[in-house]
Amino acid sequence: MIERIIIRGYRLFQDFEIEPDKGLNIIVGGNEAGKSTLLEAISIGLTGRANGRWAEEELNPYWFNQRVVADFFAELKIGNSPTPPEILIELYLNGENPDTHILRGVHNTRVEDAAGVQVRIKPSVDYAKEFDDYLNDPARPDIIPVEYYNLEWQNFAGATLHRRPKHLGVSFIDSRTIRSTWGVDYHTREMLSDFVETKERASISVAHRSARHTISETALAEVNKRITEEGTRLHDRNLGLQMDQSSGASWEAGVVPHVDEIPFALSGQGQQAAIKVALAMNRSASSTSYVLIEEPENHLSHTSLTRLVARIEDLAGDRQVFMTTHSSYVLNRLGLDKLRLIHGGKPTAFSEISDDTVRYFKRLSGFDTLRIVLADKLVLVEGPSDEMLFERAFRDKHNQKPIEAGIDVLSMSGVSLARALELSAALNRKVAGIRDNDGKPPAHWEEKVAQHLQEGVRQLFIGDPTRGNTLEPQLIHCNNEKIIRSLLLIKDSSKATIDWMSEHKTEAALLLAESKTPVKFPDYLMAAVEFVE
Amino acid sequence: MNQATLAVAGSRKTQSIVDACTNGEIGVRRLVVTYTQSGQAELESRLRSSCEPGTVPRVIGWFAFLLQHCIGPYLPLQFAEQRLSGLNFHGNPPRGRYATGASRFFDSEGRAYRIHLSKLAYDVSNASRGAVVNRLANIFDEIYIDEVQDLTGCDLHLVAQLMEEPDLDVYMVGDVRQSVFDTNPQDPNLRQYRGVNMLDWFELHQTTGLLDVQHNVKTWRANQAIATFSDTLFPSEFVFEPTVSMQNETTDHDGVFALSEPDVPAYILQHSPQLLRNSISTVCALELPIHNFGKVKGLTFDRVLIYPTKSIINFLVDGTELAPKTACGLYVAVTRAKYSVAFVLPKPSDTALTHWGESNSPERASTT
Repeated sequence: MIERIIIRGYRLFQDFEIEPDKGLNIIVGGNEAGKSTLLEAISIGLTGRANGRWAEEELNPYWFNQRVVADFFAELKIGNSPTPPEILIELYLNGENPDTHILRGVHNTRVEDAAGVQVRIKPSVDYAKEFDDYLNDPARPDIIPVEYYNLEWQNFAGATLHRRPKHLGVSFIDSRTIRSTWGVDYHTREMLSDFVETKERASISVAHRSARHTISETALAEVNKRITEEGTRLHDRNLGLQMDQSSGASWEAGVVPHVDEIPFALSGQGQQAAIKVALAMNRSASSTSYVLIEEPENHLSHTSLTRLVARIEDLAGDRQVFMTTHSSYVLNRLGLDKLRLIHGGKPTAFSEISDDTVRYFKRLSGFDTLRIVLADKLVLVEGPSDEMLFERAFRDKHNQKPIEAGIDVLSMSGVSLARALELSAALNRKVAGIRDNDGKPPAHWEEKVAQHLQEGVRQLFIGDPTRGNTLEPQLIHCNNEKIIRSLLLIKDSSKATIDWMSEHKTEAALLLAESKTPVKFPDYLMAAVEFVE
Repeated sequence: MNQATLAVAGSRKTQSIVDACTNGEIGVRRLVVTYTQSGQAELESRLRSSCEPGTVPRVIGWFAFLLQHCIGPYLPLQFAEQRLSGLNFHGNPPRGRYATGASRFFDSEGRAYRIHLSKLAYDVSNASRGAVVNRLANIFDEIYIDEVQDLTGCDLHLVAQLMEEPDLDVYMVGDVRQSVFDTNPQDPNLRQYRGVNMLDWFELHQTTGLLDVQHNVKTWRANQAIATFSDTLFPSEFVFEPTVSMQNETTDHDGVFALSEPDVPAYILQHSPQLLRNSISTVCALELPIHNFGKVKGLTFDRVLIYPTKSIINFLVDGTELAPKTACGLYVAVTRAKYSVAFVLPKPSDTALTHWGESNSPERASTT
């Protein structure tokens, strides 16, 4: 298993280090956080390949961290001679599997006795002069000349690798579906080839060749005869047509997987993703110790995703799985404890989430935990009516919606506030928790979740019980009741305002939130608005 | 348990490694280390033809073993910035014995000098604080070392470290009487175990219980006459059990002979022996293919004809004891032959050997 990953100078990662967990690692982050880049880097380290081709052939200037590159050219401009940008990817393996010891040594940046592989992309010694000339050319663009770079792929014993080490089998399931003439992408093809034994391979090849030969001898023979008769001659030699027997026309290119009689590439994208996962997980654990899955939720309906996630969980076994996702469902279902959070090319450390809470969210897997995970500032409210009114209060004060100010207002809809607070505390998020007092003083509620609260960071905002148990009486208390009644269009004069509001909670909130007349909000709500701004 | 089998020439030592690998437990990870380049190719093909596919052990030369498994992985612990690009087989550090630090071990291209390779490997192993041995013990269960007699000095220190590792069994085969090469002639370490004196080293580790030493005196190549003669080559201070020949074939010319220079053409015409000499400096008038003693290890010939050095002549004439190193070389030469060994001497009749050519009649020849 990979116990440490170090990435330097690669795309978003200026200096990145993470210690992944043994089994599942669910990588979560906002857009541009580096989730896919992390999977790519792992794949390059394990296989020496990127996008199915040798990494050295795929190398391009955009692999380099743009910040590092910008700094380099800036330094150069003011006459310094900075170190040219380099890329480093290191995967440290633990020694559990004795077979990985062949990769063991101290050739890593930590000079630590460990098994592992290293990819280093740096200026080639052979092109030192050309590289220098390039840098000194006044007309050059601020782009790294990758032509003068080379890629060294070696193990920690210091030996150069030319092919994937035997025990670093990896399956990469990316969500990008390539409808190429090959029908399937490189990774899928590799997985499929596991099904074909060497002997079968040879016999397919022979049959394929003789079938081609037969076509040449029969169908094409007629054509060739006619061409000859018509006297088409080229340079005094006969022109004829034959089936291609060169290696480019090998059977692999002509064989594509079918799903229920439909070519793989033409089956649904969801279907493709599901098949890729199944293929990856069915490979023997010895041939794939590592599985990389990119956003499995893509193209899948909720029911298919449910099946797929269950399958991933069942089959993961001894494998180490790295999975990126944007789906709270995937995260909750597979366990919040598997969460690896990255942000802006850096891993975000957070404290442990209790097993109890992990289990809680596994059950309530529909809850949008990712909003807690990814938000900068959070307002947790009890239900939709609180959500609408908080938003209105915020808009009145700041002339913009909370979300525009980077504040996510999340309606708990029955999910325990304490659990959400625990998660927020573990992630160290700024949270305003707004709840009804239900007839008890605020201190009563604060005491229950005291361990997750922190002055100025996570606080509860609760109305004074003498002004009513819930938001509705609190609203009546701080506004002119007549205006409220008119805004809510209550026509039945025998109906008490509070009763109508309690019976039509959401409708009342909607009407107040959208009213043109200003509405006053209770103090605790305003305190929450002030707290998060 | 570590084991050393010290065996006479022609006792199928290399075959014993092939057999151990072929018949050994399945799933045991084996590494076979051998000293000579030709030995390596030969071993590899023999192992490939006798082991099940997939169970063929890895075969590696001794220098490659030191570079890949002892030096390479942990070199930064000894010389932090030193790169290792290969082996400098013939070179010497420019400052010779006075070279210090990395320049003693590496040329400017990052190639390690062969002459200091074992010392470097031993230093790196020590700097790794056991990691070199631990790593090997994780990769392999058994290490076989062929031609163990050619290891010296720091090589032996390293082998001792391997033997001390409980998770690793070291099997060595060799014949100290054939120690014509040293992997490292300049190594001052363990000088007392040079050449035939290596017997003491085996004995030392046998006493401490680290090593089980077996002796094998059966030869499948030389006939008894040649085998018995080969036993006489070593100074009396070395006690070897008499060699027993399992080769009972007879021809019209069996045994050990002496002949004079003028008879050589006739002898060659009649018996087609392989010509051998101690080294290039031994005078040989004939323009025929001739091999040095050091190059024929492991080879078999029906008959050999030897051009002796002065000290060998003295030994044959009046029994003057040979220097151990010369004795080793001669032992290799003599034990190449299946049927006959002949020496070209100024006065053949001065020796106790059968004089060939007095009447050019093969009938007169008999075993000594």
